[in-house]
Amino acid sequence: MSESLLEVRGLDVHYGDAQALWSVDLTVGPGETVAVVGPNGAGKSTLVNAIAGLQPTTAGEILVAGTDVSRLVPHRVCASGVAIVPEGRRVFAQMTVADNLALGAYRPAARREHRATLARVQALFPRLAERAGQLAGSLSGGEQQMVAIGRALMARPTLLLLDEPSLGLAPVVVDEVYAAIAAIAESGVSVLVVEQDVPRALAVSQRAYLLSEGRVATTGTPAELTDSAEVRRTVLGL
Amino acid sequence: MTIAQAALTGALIGGLYALMATGLSVTWGVLRVINLAHFAMILLGAYLTYQLATSTGLDPILTVLITGPVLFVVGAAVQWAYDRLHVAEFTSLLVSFGLLIIAIQAVTLIWSADFLRMPGDINPYATESWTVGRFVFPVTTVLAFGLALVLVAALHLVLRRTFAGRGMRAIAQDRAVAAAFGVDHQRLSLVLGGVAGASAAAAGMVFALTNALSPTAAYEWFGIVFAVVILGGIGQVVGTFAAGVAVGVVSAVVSAAWSPATAPIVLFSAIVLALVLRPQGLFTLRSVVGAGR
Amino acid sequence: MRRYGGFGLAFLILAAIGLWGRDAGVPGFVVPLGITALFWIAQATSWNLLSGFSGYFSFGQAAYVGTGAYAVAVLTGRHGVSLVWSVPAGAALSGLLALAIGAVAFRLRSLRGEIFALLTLAVPFILAAVASINRTIDGGQGTTIPLPSVPGWIDGFPQLLFVLDAAVAIGALAVAAAVQHGRLGWGLTAIRDAEDVAEGIGVGTLAYKMWAILLSGLIGGLSGALYALQIGFVTVEGVFGLTIPLLVIVMSVLGGRTHWLGPAIGALLIVTLQDRLAASGYTDWNPIVLGAVLAVLVVVAPDGLYGRMRARPWAVIGALVVPIVAGYYIPYGDLQNWVLAGMLLAALVAVVPARWLPARLLRPPRPEPVPAVDRPAPPEPGPPGETVVECRSVARYYGGVHALEDVSLTVAGGELVGLVGPNGSGKTTLVNLLSGTVRPSRGAIAVAGQDTARLAPHRIAHAGVARTYQIPRPFDSMTVRDNVAMAGMFGRRRLPLAQARAEAGAHLETVSLDRLAGAYPGSLNLHQRQLLEMARAVASEPRVLLLDEAMAGLNPAEIDEAVEVIRRISAAGVTIVLVEHLLRVLNQLATRLVVLDRGRVLADGEPQAVLADPAVVRAYLGRQTRV
Repeated sequence: MSESLLEVRGLDVHYGDAQALWSVDLTVGPGETVAVVGPNGAGKSTLVNAIAGLQPTTAGEILVAGTDVSRLVPHRVCASGVAIVPEGRRVFAQMTVADNLALGAYRPAARREHRATLARVQALFPRLAERAGQLAGSLSGGEQQMVAIGRALMARPTLLLLDEPSLGLAPVVVDEVYAAIAAIAESGVSVLVVEQDVPRALAVSQRAYLLSEGRVATTGTPAELTDSAEVRRTVLGL
Repeated sequence: MTIAQAALTGALIGGLYALMATGLSVTWGVLRVINLAHFAMILLGAYLTYQLATSTGLDPILTVLITGPVLFVVGAAVQWAYDRLHVAEFTSLLVSFGLLIIAIQAVTLIWSADFLRMPGDINPYATESWTVGRFVFPVTTVLAFGLALVLVAALHLVLRRTFAGRGMRAIAQDRAVAAAFGVDHQRLSLVLGGVAGASAAAAGMVFALTNALSPTAAYEWFGIVFAVVILGGIGQVVGTFAAGVAVGVVSAVVSAAWSPATAPIVLFSAIVLALVLRPQGLFTLRSVVGAGR
Repeated sequence: MRRYGGFGLAFLILAAIGLWGRDAGVPGFVVPLGITALFWIAQATSWNLLSGFSGYFSFGQAAYVGTGAYAVAVLTGRHGVSLVWSVPAGAALSGLLALAIGAVAFRLRSLRGEIFALLTLAVPFILAAVASINRTIDGGQGTTIPLPSVPGWIDGFPQLLFVLDAAVAIGALAVAAAVQHGRLGWGLTAIRDAEDVAEGIGVGTLAYKMWAILLSGLIGGLSGALYALQIGFVTVEGVFGLTIPLLVIVMSVLGGRTHWLGPAIGALLIVTLQDRLAASGYTDWNPIVLGAVLAVLVVVAPDGLYGRMRARPWAVIGALVVPIVAGYYIPYGDLQNWVLAGMLLAALVAVVPARWLPARLLRPPRPEPVPAVDRPAPPEPGPPGETVVECRSVARYYGGVHALEDVSLTVAGGELVGLVGPNGSGKTTLVNLLSGTVRPSRGAIAVAGQDTARLAPHRIAHAGVARTYQIPRPFDSMTVRDNVAMAGMFGRRRLPLAQARAEAGAHLETVSLDRLAGAYPGSLNLHQRQLLEMARAVASEPRVLLLDEAMAGLNPAEIDEAVEVIRRISAAGVTIVLVEHLLRVLNQLATRLVVLDRGRVLADGEPQAVLADPAVVRAYLGRQTRV
């Protein structure tokens, strides 16, 4: 589909001599929200990191709006409109919330409008405005997650990647996070969510992929995957 | 000299210490490179000031307009070499030590090991001073203090308020994620290396105004500069300035009250104590210890 | 003691050369050059004892030299005390100084790497300043050491000094060899490779580092005391200067830091090089050459010459000997030039790629003798039901993140407990708390009845806790067998090396790694490295074994193999806590499941019951699932 915003074709990733991804194919259309679920060690984070430029790839292509970002130097990937909320948040702990958010708008296209974007992010996460001067490392897990998402939004992405956003968070907080994700998707940004919490991810997406042991095991609509015995077997091991 | 005067002069000289230390501290904190060649650049800055002033009659203070850009390029080039060779952290200490030795010897070969001092007609600043009330302000120390203030203010503003500065602070903590947001660490490190070099030129110029130059002066700066860097907090610009002033005051007061040779003892004992009690630096405003995994 | 006979012999030969060489036709330059060379051999070896073996780079070697030299200067030079007292006094003072430095520097975990280097750099500065001001020590003027009277049967003072220096240098080498091959050396190597892992398997890292720095200080000070005699006039700049640390670092980096002979090789080469530069009038280039050697070496050949020489010994010896012999008979130029040529040629031959040399000269390294496999005595599993691990209301905070909150847990002997939970639920934090890598913010932990919350990790290891790491962390500079042997040597049973090695073979069999026993961890794939982690953890015969996601990244076949291995370990009576997210693995192995969720214990009991618990299913699959 040349209409796709994101197209991953035949992607292989190795860690040294261990192969983590085998010929992965995946697409995300403009304005679509896609979920990638699967057990731990399946390669979900590897996939997302590869798309964002954080992980070198061995073979295959990653096309964002037609440009192959897999061959680019890491710091050039975001120019294609990709922004990531990494696994475990990875906020800049020794910098304030305000600085973390500002850093998100580092790339020139985002920098020009960073004030307007900041206002929108603060409207989405009011707590970030309250805690603007606090060091990001001193925040709770949920608040750090908001900083990480806010930071990614500051880059004005066309494709937002979220790596396990519910990781280690209380259900109430996860509710807030996913409400925000839904709002973001509504604003027209394409979203790729990687998750262990299968129902949450399926509830917010239009299509989903099941990744298992480095390969795409199955793909379909959320309804199809929820009822799938294969999903239960792969994720729960039952 | 009264204690009060000693403290004042010491505080002003502290500006020179801060001027020397800031470049090293920032490249260490942001780029994780301990660049001992920074001392070589200060030395070169001093000798070039001497050479330019005595050969061309140019006012010694103005020579920094030439030496500044030259050492900016040198500093950037050295940093580029470190990046290409993937030299960082500990290896940088050893490699830069080697470079320092080479540079000192090169200086000895070119200018000889004799003490060199700019004569009074070329350098009128060495003896000038302003008097305000009971206090004497030697011009060169005021210059050092002023330059340091400018450098620190500029760096502080850049690091805190500009995107480039945020980018630098980000790469010090998580280079990969910073890159994911577009921060080009190589370009920033070139700029930072250059800035450190230019600050070394300024420090060398000030040093040449008041002191006789000898190639081994570089070794004598080690102690003071590392004391200032560590006490001020590695990578903390304002802290380094405060530490420079503090070190200057303490050295001067101890020298006046006891003897000049006692100062190093007090100073180094202070470093040891600081490392033991407060490893992040005496003047670091805040840091998050133990955050994250 | 047999292997040290070689050192005794070397000393006797050197002594003979020193005392009677002149009559025997030994060239005149040997004694003066030899004195310098022996001094630097001792210094470089002293430095390497701490900095090369353990990785704690010191920039303060001059502190020991200066202390030793000034002890002699003050005692003998100013007060006429006999050298028989002042020289040992210098060594003792230097040793005390070393202990003081270690006591400050090693106690703080933050003082690693560069900060340690800078701290040691500060010490000679302080001492130099003290000596300069203090009139009783120096007062800035320097002190002359009067030449001691020499017994009649010795030709002159230089000959006597040569013999003394030879004694110290050979002694230093012998000490370094003994350290390297003994328990201390193994401990230091482990510290260098991965200090916290070493601490975790039972190496008392603080004690070992203190021993290393003490030996370094004693030897450095002893050699420094003799240095005072060598230079005759002791000044602050001469003995506390930066040239000393620079040279010992260059020599050790050049020669090789992991072997006791490395620094000596580097010292011989650099001393000869410096001597020839001085003789040909190029003294000015000396520092440039040294600086360049250091900068280039660190980037290009960080491991030094010794290792490469060892791989092709005949070629190297030939390259060394031929020019020297030629120079002896061909009357062209100083003999020292031929010696230098031989050394440089030998160094070159050591580092060039193998295909440039004729095959005959390249002898492959001798394979390590394989020790007989020894079945270890079966461990005392302890009466089943005895509480092996107990946690009471344990909590751990990182800044604002509550990684663990109010966790209480008991594990009985013989159990195989599965510890599960979503990512970020605190599983690894709990393992870190049990192994002592991290202290609890709150609560109490006891292992086999001992309160471990305040114990150093290596003592917790001795109490019987062993763990694996999620990302395997082997000791890279040791073979697979030696990695496992380390746990036997330093763990609860504190076996001697030979026995630990023999038992290691058996443990490797248990994890099916025995055919890779002689390989290095760098050549192992992820699965094999995880098996190595397990073998190493088991080798200390722990009371409780903590396996932290031992199957991350493995394919199904490898997982089945790992499950088999764990079964065998459990059958031998070891209590196991298995952190895992692969439920099918837990189904096959665990007798009990503990579920963590966001830092708290969500469920604890029989696997079937726990997995059917709706709360658990919700935590895994989220609230919308129909079970």
